[in-house]
Amino acid sequence: MPKISVTIDDKKLDVDVGKTILEVCKENGIEILTMCHLKGLTDVGACRLCLVEIEGVNKLLSACTTKIAANMIIRTKTEKIKRYQRITSELFFAERNHVCSVCVANGKCDLQKLGYKTEMNHIRYPYLFPECNVDTSHPWYVLDHNRCIMCTRCVRACGEVEGAHNWNVMNRGYQVRIISDFDTPWGESVTCTSCGKCVHACPTGAIWPKAIVQGQLEKKPEIIGELVEKRKMNL
Amino acid sequence: MNRQDLQTIIYAEKAKEQNNKYKHKLCVCCGAGCISSGSEEVLKKLQEEVVTRGLESEVEVIATGCMGPCNQGPLIKFLPEYTIYQKVDCSNIKDIIQRQLIEKKPIEDLLLFADSRPKPFIDAQEDPYYKKQMKIALKNCGHINPERIEDYLVHDGYQALDKVLFQMSPEEVIAEIKQSRMRGRGGAGYPTGLKWESVYKYVSPQKYVICNGDEGDPGAFMDRSVLEGNPHRVLEGMSIAAYAVGATKGFAYIRGEYPLAIKRFELAIKQAKKLGVLGNNILGTEFSFDVEVRIGAGAFVCGEETALIASIEGKRGTPRPRPPFPAESGLWGKPTLINNVETFAGISPIINNGGEWYSDIGTPKSAGTKVFALAGKINYSGLIEVPMGTTLREIVFDIGGGIQGGGEFKAAQTGGPSGGCIPAEHLDVKMDYESLTSLGSIMGSGGLIVMDQSSDMVDVARYFMEFCMDESCGKCVPCRVGTKMMHDLLQKICEEKGTRIDLERLEELAVYVRECSLCGLGSSAPNPLLSTLRHFRHEYENRILE
Repeated sequence: MPKISVTIDDKKLDVDVGKTILEVCKENGIEILTMCHLKGLTDVGACRLCLVEIEGVNKLLSACTTKIAANMIIRTKTEKIKRYQRITSELFFAERNHVCSVCVANGKCDLQKLGYKTEMNHIRYPYLFPECNVDTSHPWYVLDHNRCIMCTRCVRACGEVEGAHNWNVMNRGYQVRIISDFDTPWGESVTCTSCGKCVHACPTGAIWPKAIVQGQLEKKPEIIGELVEKRKMNL
Repeated sequence: MNRQDLQTIIYAEKAKEQNNKYKHKLCVCCGAGCISSGSEEVLKKLQEEVVTRGLESEVEVIATGCMGPCNQGPLIKFLPEYTIYQKVDCSNIKDIIQRQLIEKKPIEDLLLFADSRPKPFIDAQEDPYYKKQMKIALKNCGHINPERIEDYLVHDGYQALDKVLFQMSPEEVIAEIKQSRMRGRGGAGYPTGLKWESVYKYVSPQKYVICNGDEGDPGAFMDRSVLEGNPHRVLEGMSIAAYAVGATKGFAYIRGEYPLAIKRFELAIKQAKKLGVLGNNILGTEFSFDVEVRIGAGAFVCGEETALIASIEGKRGTPRPRPPFPAESGLWGKPTLINNVETFAGISPIINNGGEWYSDIGTPKSAGTKVFALAGKINYSGLIEVPMGTTLREIVFDIGGGIQGGGEFKAAQTGGPSGGCIPAEHLDVKMDYESLTSLGSIMGSGGLIVMDQSSDMVDVARYFMEFCMDESCGKCVPCRVGTKMMHDLLQKICEEKGTRIDLERLEELAVYVRECSLCGLGSSAPNPLLSTLRHFRHEYENRILE
């Protein structure tokens, strides 16, 4: 495969063409914060945590959706980017009702980890405290909108990998919500196969299996990517 | 139908026009604005009156598109005298016909701007309102019946398409557009020729042309009036673009709130197909191009090109990151050219008159003319078209007739929720892309809202932030949560409960949302806030709790 030269965080690298900036960074041990990205799913560039600075480009681009090109000079950890990541993290926490101490994902939550990584020690914006439902109608799983960050990983896992298209998004702006079918209780879904991919894809405690208690959640988000890889090999 | 057949029709129509038995043409504005003030009733009554007086062999009464000064409607215009009557209602129709056509003494009290000019003009073209304007995109609006393709043909309609098909290669068409230095009229001002060239360069058996008519800025109605007043011009522009970039299929995405525009554009497609200027083997050539209308369902964000494309594909109308740009991967992953209504409306004059002619109009960096929709506390609100580089003062005072009730000009808001406010000290700013950007506003699609002293600038910022908050698609965090937070902070300051820290947070968030948002809606949402902070900071400071 042809190689191209790029510079990431002052490090000169020879990398394969056709990859995204995020893929290249991961392969070279350069950490990029992500939330909506999950290997195996189409990248949508929605969480804006993976924004990087590229010399000669007048705006910040999301590493997950931007293909790397020859001679790119990329910076991933400037003061500006760190500051913006922290604001994003704060806005996530202020948007819905995240109470770690009672959450099944406590200690294993990607959002919680993000808070630590961005050195967020308090939230400077007023909490919105929206009214959110908890859908417990499914026999095995729970959807708690209080903990949802709208990364849409469940939507994409269900549509792209399982092919069931149970999940979708309704409303606009800060009122967006994940819905099952046409906004009916999950337990009444005619499309859900109860495969559990969304449970593993979810980065927080928004979708979780019943009969576990605080901090007991075990998720394996990597199975989505592994499944996709195995299918490719079978083909 | 081949080329000869079309020419035959045009000659026949032109001959009809020249040997016109009619001495007068009476145009009744049937744009959405005038219709809502009762022009359809006026049209009916006028037709009856003409018949009653036995003038039907002398006077032709037609329904046309927008004439401009919308708040003076219903408007009627007598040609060739170019005498315009304003606020016509059914009770004074008899008098108007009697005085104008029989006695040849126009009723001065009912003439256009009679209530605000010391002496109104019998020939309205003499009025500064029209004198300062230059109509290219709106050229035939208000003169022709938009529901008759023959009216358009008489006014050089489809001559540009004929010219490109028989005399020009796609490369030559693109070169002509590049030479015209035309920039996209949708808001961002990207050079049209370059955009066409980049779509042309991508090799693909299937390419698309999309016309963006999802005009959503509060107070803006340029695209609506063009589509209502001269739909064939837009259709011709799309066909020329399709020929240049190698597309065979087009979509016109028009917002659902514009039923009349949709109706007239669909009629135009039907007529054009019947006449062979659209569809398979246009004018007997190898070139085929078909257009379908897609109706927007009321989401502002669907005016953003990638969201619009998603909407046409039948998906949720949310934007996606660029690159790749639609020129490379657009509708169903195919190279797609997407231009605004007004851009397409400007194409055929460039082909007919040459790129050099167009590039000589306007300023060195912004060529041509721009349509603005005047609204707010201005005497003559409505639709105008001026050369780029006309000053704001000329637009507001010479054309717009100044501030209502003799008030004082405070600011003009351009570019809608993505734009900013221009204060009185910059009234002499030239209206072009660069000058407006340097003042922290944008040209945008052409909405221009004039405000007087009664407007509270913090409230203006809050209003536009509320608009963006409601219209955010909710996909990316900065726009979804950032606009909500900024709105809440602005609300707090409006209620005089905000502190200095709130103001600092607001400014920090504004920069963050501008730089981090996924699409143009989010990245421009802080503009009204930032520009009012820049020019009217004291109004914020006065509200702050110390």
